[in-house]
Amino acid sequence: MNGIKILTVLRKELTAGLRHRAASASMLMFALTALACMSLALGGSPLEPNVLAALLWIVIFFASTVGLDRIFEDEAASGTLTTLKVYADAQSILFGKMIYALISLSALSTFLLPTFIVLFDCPVAEPPVMLLTIVFGLIGLSGAGTLVAALSTAASVKSGLFSILLFPIVLPIFLPAINLTSAAMAGGEISLTMLIPMLLFDAILLVASSILFDYIWN
Amino acid sequence: MRIVLEGVRLAFGRAVLFDGLTATFESGRTTAIVGANGAGKSTLLKLAGQFLEPDAGSIKAFDGDRELLHAELRRRTAALAPTMNLYDRLTATENLRFFAGLRDVTVDDLDGLFARVGLTAEDEKKLVVEYSTGMKQRLKFAIVLAVGADLWLLDEPGANLDEAGRSMMLKEIARAVGERKLVLLATNDPSEEAAADDLIRL
Repeated sequence: MNGIKILTVLRKELTAGLRHRAASASMLMFALTALACMSLALGGSPLEPNVLAALLWIVIFFASTVGLDRIFEDEAASGTLTTLKVYADAQSILFGKMIYALISLSALSTFLLPTFIVLFDCPVAEPPVMLLTIVFGLIGLSGAGTLVAALSTAASVKSGLFSILLFPIVLPIFLPAINLTSAAMAGGEISLTMLIPMLLFDAILLVASSILFDYIWN
Repeated sequence: MRIVLEGVRLAFGRAVLFDGLTATFESGRTTAIVGANGAGKSTLLKLAGQFLEPDAGSIKAFDGDRELLHAELRRRTAALAPTMNLYDRLTATENLRFFAGLRDVTVDDLDGLFARVGLTAEDEKKLVVEYSTGMKQRLKFAIVLAVGADLWLLDEPGANLDEAGRSMMLKEIARAVGERKLVLLATNDPSEEAAADDLIRL
């Protein structure tokens, strides 16, 4: 693995992504539509923190599937994947694209989270726990999303495959993420050590992605 | 560098493309692979670069007596093929720097490199989407030159090029062979075939 090559991939992704904002626009539009629908349907009725936390992560999950499944699919459709396979090593591509996915999801969450808090009158008793939970959740989602995007691009039948494969992989991240987000909203007995399982699963996911991606790429 | 194919068999379903193919490719030589459409010219290039595994037989690359690992061979390979596209939303310079950067190569004399393949300083700043097919082919060739690979896999390199472009390509191939690079050409162009040191007819 080479940090400069990862940065080279990341710079390319950012440049191309900023010039053609289809993926980020799709994610943003999905998040906006989902938030608007839920907000209008609830009409200001108060919700329990556990329901709010689950809603937040459902929106993040499905918004991410709208954008992340294009990570390799766009390259395959435009014929650049073949060129990449000649010149790039697997690990630089994996981590370059993964960091780009994390940046995209972080940008989405920067918009999504305050909008969610305002629209649902959501209490945040423990902001640091809330933020760290979101960050660790997004790391896991980016790692799994990048790997699954590569897998689904190699498949001959792609429709729906990305979401189907992604969900069971990110479930061990999502369950503690929903619980911690709910606890961060409600306050009470909560400690940063509760984030350790999420952090561990992120680490396992990144290592497993790194090992598996060599087989997919070559 | 030396690439040795021994008893290679490759089939797609019931269609057997190669059976018992044996060949050796050496540095400092150009080998042209010619044959009808569908004969397996591009596939043979992929096999030689280890982008494709044979069903049977072996394909090995050597540097002297030392066998090169798959990753080592990949790092020392450059390729040009009709199926290899560039990023339309990046400029020519951004494309070139990106692919060179993936090989840890910094291109200092960008103008000189573009001039070698017949592209102007103005072309450097254009988005690739604005390029003609021939200009894209020249840019792909500029990337091959930039990365300084030892093995060149060129699939129909003269495709979409004008007379000056084809002449430039042949001159650069001759220069690369002089620098002890191993060049494999999949072609149906008589001038490229004539310029090669060895010929494989499929």
